[in-house]
Amino acid sequence: MAADSVAGAHLHDLPEPILTQIFSLVEDVRSRNAMALACRRWRCLERSTRAALALRGHVRSPFLLPTCFAAVEHLDLSLLSPWGHHPFLLHYQQQQQYNYLVDQVALVAARLAQAFPGVSSLAVYARDPSVVAALAPLWPGLRAARLVRWHQRPPNLPLGADLAPLLAACPSLASLDLSQFYCWTEDIPPALQEHPVVAASLARLDLLCPASNEGFRSSELADIAAACPNLTHLLAPCVFNPRCIEFVGDDALVALATSCPRLSLLHLVDPATLSPARGDSDAKEDAAITGLGLEGFFARLPQLEDLALDLCHNVKDSAPALEALSYKCPKIKSLKLGQFQGVCKGTWLHLDGISVCGRLESLCIKNSADLTDSSLATIARGCRRLSRLEIHRCDKVTETGIKKLSSMLRSTLVDVSISGCQLLDATRSLRALEPIRDRIERLHIDCIWASPDLDQLPQTPERTAADDSDADDVYDEIPGESRNKKCKYAESNHDDIESSCFWFRTWARLRSLSLWIPAGEVLTPLGDAGLLSCPQLEDICIKVEGDCRTCPRPRQREFGLSFLALYPRLAKMKLDCGEAVGYALTAPTGHMDLSLWERFYLQGIDGLSLYELDYSPPQDKEVNQRSLSLPATGLIQMCSSLRKLFIHGTTHEHFMRFFLGMPLLRDVQLREDYYPAPENDMSTEMRVDSCSRFEEALNSRRIPD
Amino acid sequence: MGGNSKLGDGSGKLLEMLNVRVVGAGERVVVLSHGFGTDQSAWNRVLPYLQRDYRVVLYDLVCAGSVNPDHFDFRRYTTLDAYVDDLLAILDALGVESCFFVGHSFSAMVGILAAIRRPELFLRLILIGASPRFLNDDDYHGGFELEDFDKVFAAMEANYEAWVQGFAPLAVGADVPAAVREFSRTLFNMRPDISLFVSRTVFSSDLRGVLGLVRTPCVVVQTAKDVSVPSSVAAYLKAHLGGRTAIEHIPVEGHLPHLSAPAALVQVLRRALASPR
Repeated sequence: MAADSVAGAHLHDLPEPILTQIFSLVEDVRSRNAMALACRRWRCLERSTRAALALRGHVRSPFLLPTCFAAVEHLDLSLLSPWGHHPFLLHYQQQQQYNYLVDQVALVAARLAQAFPGVSSLAVYARDPSVVAALAPLWPGLRAARLVRWHQRPPNLPLGADLAPLLAACPSLASLDLSQFYCWTEDIPPALQEHPVVAASLARLDLLCPASNEGFRSSELADIAAACPNLTHLLAPCVFNPRCIEFVGDDALVALATSCPRLSLLHLVDPATLSPARGDSDAKEDAAITGLGLEGFFARLPQLEDLALDLCHNVKDSAPALEALSYKCPKIKSLKLGQFQGVCKGTWLHLDGISVCGRLESLCIKNSADLTDSSLATIARGCRRLSRLEIHRCDKVTETGIKKLSSMLRSTLVDVSISGCQLLDATRSLRALEPIRDRIERLHIDCIWASPDLDQLPQTPERTAADDSDADDVYDEIPGESRNKKCKYAESNHDDIESSCFWFRTWARLRSLSLWIPAGEVLTPLGDAGLLSCPQLEDICIKVEGDCRTCPRPRQREFGLSFLALYPRLAKMKLDCGEAVGYALTAPTGHMDLSLWERFYLQGIDGLSLYELDYSPPQDKEVNQRSLSLPATGLIQMCSSLRKLFIHGTTHEHFMRFFLGMPLLRDVQLREDYYPAPENDMSTEMRVDSCSRFEEALNSRRIPD
Repeated sequence: MGGNSKLGDGSGKLLEMLNVRVVGAGERVVVLSHGFGTDQSAWNRVLPYLQRDYRVVLYDLVCAGSVNPDHFDFRRYTTLDAYVDDLLAILDALGVESCFFVGHSFSAMVGILAAIRRPELFLRLILIGASPRFLNDDDYHGGFELEDFDKVFAAMEANYEAWVQGFAPLAVGADVPAAVREFSRTLFNMRPDISLFVSRTVFSSDLRGVLGLVRTPCVVVQTAKDVSVPSSVAAYLKAHLGGRTAIEHIPVEGHLPHLSAPAALVQVLRRALASPR
């Protein structure tokens, strides 16, 4: 429609205020960087409208702090190099230069305040309280703070001393995120109680740190709730074990709800569920939480939208309480229940238990031993808006149940996670998701191949008395693979040409895949299981867990990463071998040591055109060592398309220098974000000097784009 | 001797370069010296037991991964003497007059030579995984045959060549014979040019001739099965070391007892450190 007169009109010709407005709406960092390269005016505009910044420079060069980003509101200082260090480089050996250091701290702090005057949200690695004490007063109007610490809590610190400077300096703090901050549970209540003004203004409090394996006791929980009555978001680990003193039971929950009636997001979990390793969940004792108590609890939280109660003890007969949940908390959208029994019986025509919560969009059920296929069918009938489903260790659920649920929820379900269920290995999980194969966007499965005893399963599922008014066929399972499968779906007349040929199943919209695989197993059967064609897959996360010392030797020489080359758009990979345990240096004769295991796991990575890699090396638990070995370095080095590399462990300097040969590499960091992170003076390999040498070398290279 | 004068002013720098650390409190000084491929953090599991009662000195060998590789002077570190120079320079810089020396593998050799040069400095030598010569000889069983060495060297040279071209090689560990596997595992953790160089130094050294010059009392620590150091070597050491020598057995397998069996090693150390004199 452009007439000749406007043929020359250009984005550049827009008046400044409008252009500024447009620029400030762009959030993607790479786009912004590209915009800044267009011309000088655009660069100024881009710089002056950028709202979020994560500083990645080295701690030794504070003079390099950029001052052009005046509009930054979200500032992330937690990634400064070397990772995990004091942002002001307090070198322990320089004790005699203490005065100089105090000046330097003041100087850097002033510079930060000058460069970023408008910061309202700050993330910082707070190794000890002096960091916060120096930074918090710079921005008294701070609204959100995230503290990070994976190192040990400094000894002899008084309770609450970590938080006191922050709470004292920022009276209008509304959000405090300690989910990556290791401290004691006893630190929190005193800090909050001593600063009642801030505590009263806090709306979000995240205390779920996987590093600590303690939970808050009922008195501590009550203290926190009493200090912060305006909380809308609370996440905290709690002592639910009835054998412990001051365990959290019905009364404690009711007290919490009474103190904080505005809660809309509440996650109370048992600390054992936070550990990165999968525990075993043998049926344990009962929790001190009963259905009746829960009903009272829900009654006091009308604003509740997102609830997680992830316990390690059984909560029996929870169906009535869950029905009460849907009446008392009409806004409930997201629910996560761990070790709740009787969640949904699904034996009759009517909806019971969870299925009454019709507005649920996200549901996660863990360790529910009596969840059956008919429960799932009932849930599917009741929760018509469900878009995310996660099932963990529900051993009675079979392929049929999942299949029925996914076909009934075809129009909404896009995110499914199936893990730890005995009757659902990889192949069966994938088959069960057949009805949503073309719609699902995020998927997690366990890579359990071939379980021989599953073929003896009774073929007829428990038929519910409910009529199939949704007009989906019950699937007739023919033992052994059948090549001609036809499904009728509820709503669409989807002509599934592909489903008639088992091997070419395309997962058209799958963007993100997450896999769990036991140590020693290989990845290649994934194609046979059904994930051969994923044209949109960008992001994969593989977690390896197990004991490499006792598991049998792998059948193949390679783990099978080269298989992932089938996915054309795969750009981002997270390979977490951190829970694979083995021998680093002390392997007895005949055993594979960790360098050989790393070679096994990483072989083939050069065939993938990855953009970003997050790698956690396997660990030697005896010496608390998670270190990159020589073969691992060599294999990663061959992945020439890599731009970002994050290693969650340590390594030698000369190994790091191999990475300098990777042409496109821009951002490398060793992030020991596990507890306890190695202390600097005891760390084996990367020290401050090594880090700086490496980064200087990295930064001095020419970058092609 | 020769090296000390050169490092007169630079002794402070040496302390920093080799990451010298002194921890703990006590009258007597214990020096912990690690072997190949690791660094002073290998003593992490043993350190807590010692630092209560002794002043512990830890340092990294110049070939360790945590030392700036630019400090490795290929012209200087051609023989073990340069390492001895470093050790003595450190002790002098710290003002240590007498100490217990705990050395693993390579460091044990260094300790033996240091005790010959400065006998008054060492109260006792505790040698873990020590051997005066690794290569077998006519009637001496050092544990390694020439073919084994050749295979290790071939792997290390391949390692080195790849490194020179900027590639981290993939041939490690599994590709050397089982007999040398545990020993060589640590070698591959070092920078290839340094490790090739140091290995040549070590495998060609033979201390059998000078053992008799040692006057310091020694404790030889022997594990139940050390693939790199056969048990006959411990007996050989006891027979030939000039001072009073005792053998302590640790009923655990492996070449690195401070990593794989720290508790057992600590008991041995306590006994060795506590005896009078």
